[in-house]
Amino acid sequence: MQKICDKMKTILLLLQVFLLFVDGSYNDGTKQWSWICNTSRKCEKVPNAPVHKYFYNRQEKEPLYSLEACRLICGQYGALWPRPTKDVDLSQDLININPSSISFQMLNAIDEARDFLIENTQLFLKNIFLECGKNCSAVNNGLDATVFISISNSNMDLNWSTNESYSLEISKAGGVYVTITAPSAFGARHALETLSQLITSYKIQENGIIHHQFVIVSKAVIKDKPQYPYRGLLLDTARNFLSVHTIKRQINAMASSKLNVLHWHITDSQSFPLESVRVPQLSKYGSYSSKNTYSLSDVSDIIRYAKLRGIRVILEIDAPSHSGNGWQWGREAGLGDLAVCVNQEPWRSYCIQPPCGQLNPINSNVYSVLGDLYSDIVDILPKGETFHMGGDEVFIPCWNSTLEIVNYLDSQGQDRSHESFLALWSYFQQEALKKFDSKVGNENTPIVLWSSALTEPEIIEKYLSKNRYIIETWVPSDNDLPTKLVERGYNIIVATKDAWYLDHGFWGTTEYHNWRKVYQNRILNSPSVLGGEACMWGEYVDDTSIDSKVWPRAAAMAERLWSDPSSSTSAAEARFYRHRERLVARGIQADAVTPRWCYQNEGMCS
Amino acid sequence: MQTFVILNLSRCIVLKLPTCRSAYYYTFVSRKPVGVLGCPVRDFIPDRYIKRTMKQMGKKKLLLALLLFSGGFILYFVWIQNTFEFPTIVHSLRTAYQTNMKSDPRWTWRCHNERCERHIKKENEKSASLITCNMLCGQPKLWPFPTGSLYVSEDSVTFFYHQISVLYFAKNPVRSLLEQSFAVFNQNVINMVPTTYKTSYKSDIKRFLVVVSVTHPNQNKLTLSTDESYTLAMNMNGDDLVATIKAGTYFGARHGLETLSQLIWWDDHPPEGILRTVKAANIQDAPVFAYRGLMIDTARNFMPVDSLKRTLIGMSMNKLNIFHWHMTDSQSFPFSTPSVPKMAQYGAYGPDMVYTPQDIQELVEFAYHLGIRVVIEIDTPAHAGNGWNWGPEEGLGDLAVCVNEQPWNLYCGEPPCGQLNPLNPNTYEVLEKLYKDIIRLTGETELFHMGGDEVNLDCWGQFLKGINYTDFHDLWGLFTMKALEKLASANGGNLPSNMIFWSSNLSRRPYITRYMDKSKTIIQIWSPSLWSDTYDILADGYRVIMSHVDAWYLDCGFGRWRETGEAACDPYRSWQTMYLHRPWQESMDKNLVVGAEACLWSEQLDAASLDARLWPRTSAFAERVWSDPEKDVKMYTIKESVYTRLTIQRDRLISRGLGAEALWPLWCSQNPGLCL
Repeated sequence: MQKICDKMKTILLLLQVFLLFVDGSYNDGTKQWSWICNTSRKCEKVPNAPVHKYFYNRQEKEPLYSLEACRLICGQYGALWPRPTKDVDLSQDLININPSSISFQMLNAIDEARDFLIENTQLFLKNIFLECGKNCSAVNNGLDATVFISISNSNMDLNWSTNESYSLEISKAGGVYVTITAPSAFGARHALETLSQLITSYKIQENGIIHHQFVIVSKAVIKDKPQYPYRGLLLDTARNFLSVHTIKRQINAMASSKLNVLHWHITDSQSFPLESVRVPQLSKYGSYSSKNTYSLSDVSDIIRYAKLRGIRVILEIDAPSHSGNGWQWGREAGLGDLAVCVNQEPWRSYCIQPPCGQLNPINSNVYSVLGDLYSDIVDILPKGETFHMGGDEVFIPCWNSTLEIVNYLDSQGQDRSHESFLALWSYFQQEALKKFDSKVGNENTPIVLWSSALTEPEIIEKYLSKNRYIIETWVPSDNDLPTKLVERGYNIIVATKDAWYLDHGFWGTTEYHNWRKVYQNRILNSPSVLGGEACMWGEYVDDTSIDSKVWPRAAAMAERLWSDPSSSTSAAEARFYRHRERLVARGIQADAVTPRWCYQNEGMCS
Repeated sequence: MQTFVILNLSRCIVLKLPTCRSAYYYTFVSRKPVGVLGCPVRDFIPDRYIKRTMKQMGKKKLLLALLLFSGGFILYFVWIQNTFEFPTIVHSLRTAYQTNMKSDPRWTWRCHNERCERHIKKENEKSASLITCNMLCGQPKLWPFPTGSLYVSEDSVTFFYHQISVLYFAKNPVRSLLEQSFAVFNQNVINMVPTTYKTSYKSDIKRFLVVVSVTHPNQNKLTLSTDESYTLAMNMNGDDLVATIKAGTYFGARHGLETLSQLIWWDDHPPEGILRTVKAANIQDAPVFAYRGLMIDTARNFMPVDSLKRTLIGMSMNKLNIFHWHMTDSQSFPFSTPSVPKMAQYGAYGPDMVYTPQDIQELVEFAYHLGIRVVIEIDTPAHAGNGWNWGPEEGLGDLAVCVNEQPWNLYCGEPPCGQLNPLNPNTYEVLEKLYKDIIRLTGETELFHMGGDEVNLDCWGQFLKGINYTDFHDLWGLFTMKALEKLASANGGNLPSNMIFWSSNLSRRPYITRYMDKSKTIIQIWSPSLWSDTYDILADGYRVIMSHVDAWYLDCGFGRWRETGEAACDPYRSWQTMYLHRPWQESMDKNLVVGAEACLWSEQLDAASLDARLWPRTSAFAERVWSDPEKDVKMYTIKESVYTRLTIQRDRLISRGLGAEALWPLWCSQNPGLCL
C-alpha cells in the first residue's frame, strides 16, 4: 500500500507542477528584501537593493538574497551553534554549490568507524536538504564539492575519554574542497555538523517557478573542541510516557547542538515502562499500559541511534526512592514487600510527590530482583558504560513508618535517628552496587548518583567512594555544593536547578528559565567537573509538547557546555535565533523565542 | 462499506467509510486534501470550492486540470491493476499520542464513591477500561459543564458507527448547515475507532438515531443575542437508541451535537474495543455569557491557516464562539489585500507568510460551521508600523511615524515602534479600504474591533510636526472619531452595532465619555483585575469584555525575551488560575459584562507550540465563560471532578488532532483523585 501511495504522490507532484504552469506565474506578493552584513556585524534588512541571482559575480559587500545567506558570513561565528572554541576564520563570501554533487572521501577510517562516517554523511545530506524546506527544489548549478574526512583512530568507544575535537577547512580550486581532520570518528561527526551549518539555501524565482540555490561559505578554517566532556539532556519517561519516535527526535536535536549524553530517567514511582526479560512483573505492574513500555530491543535501538549521532545513553534506574509502581507484586510472589509505602495516602506523609513508594532495604529479595534487572541492562549497555543509580530524595518518614523496617532497626540495636536511616540507605546503595558489579564482572563501571543527604560534603566520604561515584548536583546556582565536592576530589555533573531544570515555571512557585537564563548559567571550571545537564522532568509534558519545552533552550545550554563563552546573550542572539529556525527545519517543534521581526532585524530589539 | 484512498501531498490515508460523501467529509475535516481515490470528483469537492476555484483559475484551465487528473487515474489503474489490493482496514488518523489513552488488561477500574479506582485485574474478572468507568461514574464527563438540568444514565450501550443515522426537523437554510455539522460529528465518531480492530462485541442496539430539530431556520447569523441553548434527550425506543436535540437556532443545535459527541467514547477495553454511549440522558444547556472569545496574535509571529483551523476546532469543542484575530501589529502586516497591496508587501515577514482574502474567507466559513464568528482586529493607532511605511514612496506622505525608530524604548512598549499618523488624511483613506475588506470578508457587522491600546504620546509628540496639543489624548480621541467615520462609510454609511476597544488611557475618565458613545462601545479590559478604572467604566454605563492580564493571558510566564527590561507578565497562568478567575463575582453589574476572552500574544510563540500553549488551558477558561461554576469561596480549590473531566477533555482534544499539553503524570489520570 505504501508503494502505491508513493507512486500516487509522484503523479500528484507532477500534476501540481503542471498546474503551476497553467496558473501562469507565481505571484510573489511581497517586496523583495535583501540583507547586508553591516559594520556592527549584524545582518541588516535593506529594501529593493539590486542583487545578483547567483553569487558567481557577487562583489563583496553586496547585499544577499536571504537573511540565512547573510548570517553564514556575518560576524566571527557566522551561523554556527555552538560556536567553535579555538580558531574560526570564515570568509566574507559565499559560493554556489550543487547539493546533489557533494562527494565524500574517507581516509584512514576502517570497519565500524568507516560505516559510521558513511552513515553520517547521509545524515549530513539529509540535513542540508531540510534547510530549504518542505518543497525543496534544488537548482543543480554551482560547484561540485568534495569532502575529505580523515581520522587518526578508528576506535569506536564513546566514553569519558573520547576525543571530540576536529578541524575543518573549506577552500576553492575549481571545485569546493572540504577537509575534515579529527582524532576520532566522533570528532569528524561534529565536523560534519559544523559543515551543515556553513551551508544554506535561498529562493530564486525563474519563469514563475521557485527554486532553491545552495550556497556555502567560500573559505573557512575552523579548529574546535568542547570545553566539557559531558553535555547532557535528561528525559523522564516515567511521569509521562514518551514514544520511541519522540526520544529519537530529541536525539536529532541534540546532535544538531553537539550535545553528547542522553540521560534516560526511565523509571520512577509513577510508572515502570522498561520491560525486563528477567523480571517481567516490573513493567507488567508498573507500566501505564502494554503500549507504554520499552522493550530491551527498543532501548538497544535508541542506544544505536544515539551513538550514530555521537551521543551516549546513560540509563538511570532510580533507587531506593522514586520507586513504587512496578514493585508492588512482591508479597503475592512470596518475596515479601519489595517496596514500601507504594501509592500510600495521604501521600504528603510518605513522599514529596504522589504516588509514594520506596524500595525496602531490609528485604534481601529486593537485591536479587535488582540484580536480575541489572543483568538485563548490562546485556544491552555498551561495555563499561556509565550507569546512573539515582539515589535522590529518600523520604525518611516512609521508612520510619514501616513496621518491618523499624523493627529491623530495633533488632540491630539502631535508633530511629537521621543517621541510622542514612546508614540504612548507604547499606542499600552498597548492596545494589555489589549486584551491579557482579553482573558486569568487574568493579570499574563509573556510577552516577544524584546529590542528596548522603552526598553532603561533610559526610559523603563516609558513604560513597570518590573512585566509584560521580555526583550529579542539582542545587541552585548560588549553592556551593559543587565546589565543596570538587574540593574533596569527587567528579561531578552539574544540573543547576534554577537554570537548567526545564520543567520549572509551570508548577508551584518555580520560575521558567528562558534561553537567556539557561545560557548565562556558568558552571564551575575544573577537570573534576565533567559537564552539565538540562533536565526535562516529565510531570507536565508528554509527546505533545516536549519539543517546545526542551528546545531551543537545551541548545542554549549546549553552547555553554561546548564553548563556555564569557560574552552575553546579546552576542549570541542572532546565531541562536538562527539555530532555532534550523531545529524547526529539522522537524523539531522548537518554541519561538522572539517576534520574527527581531530575527529579521538583528540587534534591533535589545 | 467501501475503501477510499485519500491523498494529500505528504501522505496517503486509506480508510473504510460508508459512502463517498463521508470520504468527502473526511477531507473537509482534515486539512489540505488533494483527492479521494475511488470517488466521483463531484462528490469530494464541495460546490463552493469548485465555484471558487473556477473563479480563480478560469473554467478552461480547471477542466484541463480535471481532464489531466482523471487521465492520471486511468493511467494509474492500468499501471497497478495486477498489484492493487486493499488491506481490510488501514487507518492512519490516530497519532502516536493515542497510546496514552489506552488502558490495558493488567488494570481494571471500579467505580467507588463517584471515583474510579485502579485495580490489578484478577483472572476471569469482568473488567472495565478507565474511560468506560469514568464515563459512567460520578458527574457526567461533559466539558464545559451544562448549566441546566442534567441527567446522564450510568448504563451504557455498545454500537457501531454505521448504525448512526440522522433525521432533521428543520427547513433550509439551517438544514444544510446541520447536514454539514452532523457530518463532522459523524466523522469524529468514526475517528474514535482505531487502526485495525476486529471485534466480537455485539451492538446492544439496532439503530442509533439522532434527531435534530431547530425551530428558527432563518436565524443563521451568530450575534450577541443568538439563542445558543439546546436540549439533548437520549432514550431507548424499543431496540433503537434515539438522541433528540432541540434548539432554537443552528448554533444551539451544533452545541447539542458537540455534547452528544462527548457522551460517545471508544471503550478501548482489550483485546478488542467498541464504541459506547450512555443509555439515557436528559440535558438542558445554555451559556452564561454571549461573548466567549479567544484572541490569537498573528503579527508578532505568523500562524499558518492550518494552525488557525486547528484552533477553531479546539474552540468549537469547548463551545467558544468568538475568534478574535489580532492580525496585524507594528512587527508585521500579514493581511494581503488587493485594495492596498503595499501593506503586506512592506509588512509581511515573507511571501509565504500572508493571509489572502481567500484564506480569510475560507477561515470565516470554516469557523461559521463550527459556531464561531471571526472578529478581525487591525490595531490602530498604536501597534502599527511595518506595513504602513510605504507612504512617502507612493507620494502619500507618512502614514505612520516613528516606524522602527531607535532607541525604541522612548517611543513604544516593545520593538519595533510605530504609530499611525493622525494628521495625514491618507492614513484614513487607507483605513477605510482595510475596514471595507474586513467587513466584506468576515460579514461581521455586529462587532468590530478597533484596537486602540497602548498609544505612546511621545512618539507623536516627537515626530509630528506643526501641531500644538496641550494634551495629546485629544489627538488620540480625534483620530478615533475620524477612524469611526471611515468605518461607518466602509459599512455603507452606518457604524457596526458595537465597536470594541482595548482598555487604555482613552477609556478612562474624562476621555471615555468625550470620545466613546456608550451605546455602541464595548471596552475589552486587559488591565489587571484590581484596575480601579473598571468600576468607572461600568459606572459610566459602558459594556465590557473581561480579558484580565493576570488570569487570562496565555502567553505569560516565559521570561523576558529581550536582553534588557522586565518580563512583561510573569508568571505562567496555570489552568487552575484561569479556571478560578471570576471577576464578575465582586460587586459588579453583570448585565454590562458581555463576556470574556483569553488572549494569546505571540512574542514567544509560533505555530510550533501553539497547541500546547492554548490547550487544555483554554478549555478551563471556556468552562468559566460557558458555565461560570460557583467558586468555593472558602477553599479556593478546584473540585476533584473538574480535574477528572478536564483530563478527559484533554484526551478528546488530542483525538481530534490538537497537541494539548499534559496536565500531570498519567498516573494521576489513571488514579482519579489521588494526586490532589
